[in-house]
Amino acid sequence: MIEPSAQRESTSDKAIVAEHLCKVFDVTRGTLRRTKTQVVAVKDVSFEVDYRELFGLVGPNGAGKTTTIKMLTTMLIPTSGKATVLGYDIQKNVTKVRERIGIVLGGERGLYTRVSAIDNMRYFADLYGVPVNIREKRIKELLEFMGLWDRARDRVETYSKGMKQRLHLARGLINDPELIFMDEPTIGLDPEIAKETRNMIKELVEKGKTILLTTHYMFEADELCRRVAIIRNGEIAALDTPSGLKYVMDTSVVEVEGFGITEKEVARFKEIPDVFSVSADLAENKQVLKIQTPKGSEIISEVQEILKNSRIYDIKIKEPTLEDAYLRLVTG
Amino acid sequence: MPQTLRVIYSAFRMAMLHWIADPQWVIPNIIAPFVFTTVALTLFKETTGPFGLYAVLGGGMMGMWGNTLYSSGFAIEFEKWQGTLEEVMAAPSKLLHVITGRAVSNALFGLTNMVAVLVIAALGFKISLGIADPLLFAVSLVLTLLSVSALGLIFASAFVLSRSAQTLTNGLEIPLYLISGSMFPIALLPFWVHPAAYVLGPTWGIDAIRLATSQEYISQTFWAGVDPKIAIAFDLAVMFLITSVYAAIATVLFKMVEKRARTTGTLVEA
Repeated sequence: MIEPSAQRESTSDKAIVAEHLCKVFDVTRGTLRRTKTQVVAVKDVSFEVDYRELFGLVGPNGAGKTTTIKMLTTMLIPTSGKATVLGYDIQKNVTKVRERIGIVLGGERGLYTRVSAIDNMRYFADLYGVPVNIREKRIKELLEFMGLWDRARDRVETYSKGMKQRLHLARGLINDPELIFMDEPTIGLDPEIAKETRNMIKELVEKGKTILLTTHYMFEADELCRRVAIIRNGEIAALDTPSGLKYVMDTSVVEVEGFGITEKEVARFKEIPDVFSVSADLAENKQVLKIQTPKGSEIISEVQEILKNSRIYDIKIKEPTLEDAYLRLVTG
Repeated sequence: MPQTLRVIYSAFRMAMLHWIADPQWVIPNIIAPFVFTTVALTLFKETTGPFGLYAVLGGGMMGMWGNTLYSSGFAIEFEKWQGTLEEVMAAPSKLLHVITGRAVSNALFGLTNMVAVLVIAALGFKISLGIADPLLFAVSLVLTLLSVSALGLIFASAFVLSRSAQTLTNGLEIPLYLISGSMFPIALLPFWVHPAAYVLGPTWGIDAIRLATSQEYISQTFWAGVDPKIAIAFDLAVMFLITSVYAAIATVLFKMVEKRARTTGTLVEA
């Protein structure tokens, strides 16, 4: 089905080129008195993804990540803007785009659970027009790669969450796509299985695949992605390499471990000029305060002053993580 | 095998696997028509004429109709409930072809009821249903099945496009049994019902099946004295034309479904 000689719309050397993508949904409110309003899911999104790149799209719920992916995978028509995927216009060459991409959605849904993994794979192989003479070989290879071959003939409803996620990955590769869209592929997985999944994603990039990944886990984006776009309110708030995003922060994180820290004291930190954010978490039998500020060690005396009635176990000055950069950019 | 046929076959196979894996779907489609037919056979066992033919074919058609209305009608919704609609719609194949495979499978499964009723009629009521022309019977049955499947496609897309279509169809099951001539000849129905009966492709298919089954049936029809083969060919030709119209309507409706899904994002949550 995939024709190597098919004409591409553009000769771009980019796997994805998104230009000012916008998606507005009409929403009907009320039962008796119906009124139509509009919800802007994606306001203005532009970015490019190189071939063989693992590109991350991160952002809070409702920021527009999934809608962006759905537009790029031709599942939604943009209200305005344009994009090419593997050189094909997403509105003019819907079938050509679909033939060449893979889609992996997170979660347990999206599989025919009453039938076996092999039957799921065969079905999608047929829907994607995988040549019959290589179908069975490819199914076996993919299920072996995902460690599912031994259970390939069992009903999917008997699979664990991790196995279902691996089957999602295998299914997303059934047409040997050049580009794979992964929407939160590790959501809900336990740490061990999530790590396994991340390793498989890395292996796919090593094998020459291009991947666009959305995730809520910043450490995951940091570990996997060459570049990350942070999307906020339907717009790209920042786009850089993970280290570039951290560098742009131009801040450090003062981490205070202590006990007896009150909400009032936390609020006082927020009043200090140049403190961008303060978060307080409980870790085992201590409290951990994270204060984001460009002042770094200069703030230590103020910390000690504010927390003079609390116990301080330790104060560390840390480089910001991608999560710190994300929080700073997303919370504004 | 051309890609379109391959997709239809694959969707047909997947639907069959689900029928086997989830037998609870079979019960309402087997038990209800089965009871209906048994009651009919019991009430009219002393009646003369091609009564057994009506009971058996009627039971089979009920199974096909029931499945078409409920299983094919909700075929797109089934994918949505299953959470697989996004994956299916994101594939390069047309949704129409996927649902066609499901609709054919549903109609075929509905026919299993005909076999059950036939067994009951033969063993329990000693009614023999000698088929006069087995080849034309088989051809008529297969083409009727395809015509019912095409109607299923219209239901499937209409259900997604309009919720009132679902409500309407809930009340359509029994009237469809009656006006399609499944249970008794259309001639017995009031004249004003006839146009509605004759725009249904399966009405012609059922007539062809009866003509192929019973030699005495033709004498009760407009075709009395004519070679049954000519009558069957006419019925099948009309059904083919009507089914082509169904297919054209279904193609347009499915385009509307896909366009709406891709514009509003309501078919699969964004």
